[in-house]
Amino acid sequence: MLGSFAVGKTSLVRRFVESIYSDVYQTTVGVKVDKKNVQVNGADLTLVLWDIYGEDDYQKMRWTYLRGASGYLLVAEGTRKATIDKAVSLEQRVREEVGVIPFVFALNKCDLLQDWEVDSAVEAQLADKGWNTLRSSAKTGEGVEEAFCLLARKMLG
Amino acid sequence: MNMPGVFENFLTEMSFALLEHHGAGAFVPIAKLPGWFTDLWGISLGTIPLAEVCPFLENFLLEAEAFWEAPGLAPCQSETWVERTSGGREIPLQARALLLDGKRVLAIFSPDLQFHEQVKMLQTARNTLLDHERLAREIQKKEILLHCIVHDLSQPLSVMHVAIDCLSEEAISDRSRQLLTLGKLASNQQESMIRDILHTFSDDLRASLNAGTEENASTDLLACARKTAQRLSPTFEAKRVRLAVVSPDDPAAICLVRAEESRLQRIFSNLLENALRYSPAGSQVTVGVESDGEFLKACVDDQGPGLPKDLRPEQIFGLFMKGKQGGGKAGLGLYFCRITVERWGGSIGCVSLPEKGSRFWCRLPRAATATVQPAQASASSGAGQAPPQATPAPARPLRILFADDQPDIRTLTCHQLKRGGHQVVAAKNGTEALKKIRAGSFDVILLDHEMPGMTGDQVAAAVRKSETGKKTRPFLIACSGNSGPEDVLHLKKAGFDTVLSKPFQLEELYRVLSASPAVSGAPAQPVKSPVASQAGFDTILARIGGDSQLLMRMIHTFLRDTPKRIAGIAAALRRRNAEELASLAHALKGSVSLFAAEPARKLAQDLQELGRAGDLTAAPAAFDSLKEEIANLLENLRGYAKQSPARPRSATTARRKPPRTRGKRRR
Repeated sequence: MLGSFAVGKTSLVRRFVESIYSDVYQTTVGVKVDKKNVQVNGADLTLVLWDIYGEDDYQKMRWTYLRGASGYLLVAEGTRKATIDKAVSLEQRVREEVGVIPFVFALNKCDLLQDWEVDSAVEAQLADKGWNTLRSSAKTGEGVEEAFCLLARKMLG
Repeated sequence: MNMPGVFENFLTEMSFALLEHHGAGAFVPIAKLPGWFTDLWGISLGTIPLAEVCPFLENFLLEAEAFWEAPGLAPCQSETWVERTSGGREIPLQARALLLDGKRVLAIFSPDLQFHEQVKMLQTARNTLLDHERLAREIQKKEILLHCIVHDLSQPLSVMHVAIDCLSEEAISDRSRQLLTLGKLASNQQESMIRDILHTFSDDLRASLNAGTEENASTDLLACARKTAQRLSPTFEAKRVRLAVVSPDDPAAICLVRAEESRLQRIFSNLLENALRYSPAGSQVTVGVESDGEFLKACVDDQGPGLPKDLRPEQIFGLFMKGKQGGGKAGLGLYFCRITVERWGGSIGCVSLPEKGSRFWCRLPRAATATVQPAQASASSGAGQAPPQATPAPARPLRILFADDQPDIRTLTCHQLKRGGHQVVAAKNGTEALKKIRAGSFDVILLDHEMPGMTGDQVAAAVRKSETGKKTRPFLIACSGNSGPEDVLHLKKAGFDTVLSKPFQLEELYRVLSASPAVSGAPAQPVKSPVASQAGFDTILARIGGDSQLLMRMIHTFLRDTPKRIAGIAAALRRRNAEELASLAHALKGSVSLFAAEPARKLAQDLQELGRAGDLTAAPAAFDSLKEEIANLLENLRGYAKQSPARPRSATTARRKPPRTRGKRRR
């Protein structure tokens, strides 16, 4: 799980793994690893989810965590446009560090659509770059399952 | 590996898990494992497949193995990771690779206390960042709202102003004219309210309030009160409330205060409107000015119910504060008064009067007499004369292109300009304007700033670019709701000669047109300074208490100093010293204002602004026009001085002269 801080990475994992959500923002320090079994294309698959803290001026990410990763969910959120810029730079950095691996871009917090700074033109722009983008909301659950399952399918090739 | 008992107990006490690596991600405990280890992985004896049960450690082992192979000076320690027990308890952990007696050892421990401190610190930092981002977004929304106020609310006002001005020039009955005056007052009030909102909320405008334009300004407090009272008198009459401006005991007293005239008028306007709101029919509102040491104090007294008992006087000047009964508009007016007066180094307050009513007062520092603001000169005409009418259009017909995407403004303004004898071509957007400019020849081009397609500044830039090498250049006027200093600077950089603030009134439009080189450079139809007329001298004389000796001294000083100032400006222009130009033009503006020479004042102001903007492109043309104006003014003043070295006329007589239209309205 990669993305700027406070975009909802931990919330997406908790929604996906435990089907729970909390409105209270609790910053992630360190790394949390979770597992979830899913069925993809009729096969059982265990996803090992590394919820990595959002990189900012206070915490720099260790790129060694991406060693051996089969893919990643890149997360930004619609109410803070700057998180998209961060996502773009993270994607580039991943390519530099570990090469091209599958990823899915989730534009989170779609339950707050009225406060979004990001318009569909930006999404279209990212889609034009070849990104698999979808909207999600850890709060309502919209798009969460789809995001992880799409990533699983892409990882399986 | 044998562990002495004491050391083993120490590790258990410190909650350390110490394990020896046996290859392939498997470990064997060296000492008794702490309780959390068993809670997490359910094993504490034998060979433990740590890499299998803990993906984080599987990843870390790559670094640990590298360390065990070639131990360096730097310790090999993991970052914190968090494991969750089956009961949901989260345990922060860190791991460290060690080489002890040649054995590959992994120490795992829980940095519980430091971890929670770190979480607390990061949580605070990130919450602060999120708050900051939220605040920035709110500010952005506010700016968008301000833009809407400027553009969307001002547009209909422009139409109203121009429509009323057009109607005022028709042959209509006195009653209709009176109603039109009321309509104009209402639209002016609305404009004033919009500006209150802007000045209260816009950081840029706030900053501009602090900027140099006001620092040295001075205004006649009494004249300003009279002018505002005159403007509001129809509204008072409509509510059957008497409005009186009381002169100070010493009629010759100089009432100059450190304040900018237009804002001081708004302060009086807000205080008087506030008084009127609470004044019963048949009562009186009185404005007075009194000396207060180094300050002058203006008081607005009403005979209403007095101040609300549940509010402290200082609360009344708070943001969004409205009275309970028949309250104000948006709760901005008095707040605006307070922040403006305080910015000028003054104070403001209110108090209930002993018997009945309330007094709102403002106290402003006295100013030197050198930089009098223009309105004082015209203010003498404000103590009870006709409401301002649209000034006549320049006599020389101009070829004008007017572009505005708002059809009503376009139609009405074009209509009025045509009535003034000008040839007018209209354009409904920037692209059409540019096409027509290229196809025709214009003396003046008026461009709305915000138009679909090409904006006004884009058109202006294109016009200026295409005129390289041409002998004549059109006078470019921007019409913009955003007319703060930064906006004006931007528009002038784009190529505009001047900026007309929207919503504009016809007299402002005519004034701006009269500054265009095509008009000011036309010797056949010079724009006469108001002072050229006898009435002009009379009003100046009345303002200085009928002291003809003082007037003569003013004239002699002006005749002596002005040629030097003009020479100074010419030299500054030759040296292209914008700062010096601004300073000299500012001084000249102040001195011509004393003689109510509005065109000269305006041109001096234009030069001052050009100097401040550092853009001297249009300065020579403006200076030529200014020289002509000054020459006219000097000639008139010399003529007056020769013809009438002393024309005694008492201040009392001057004040008593019945104003024409006011006489009609008042019984």
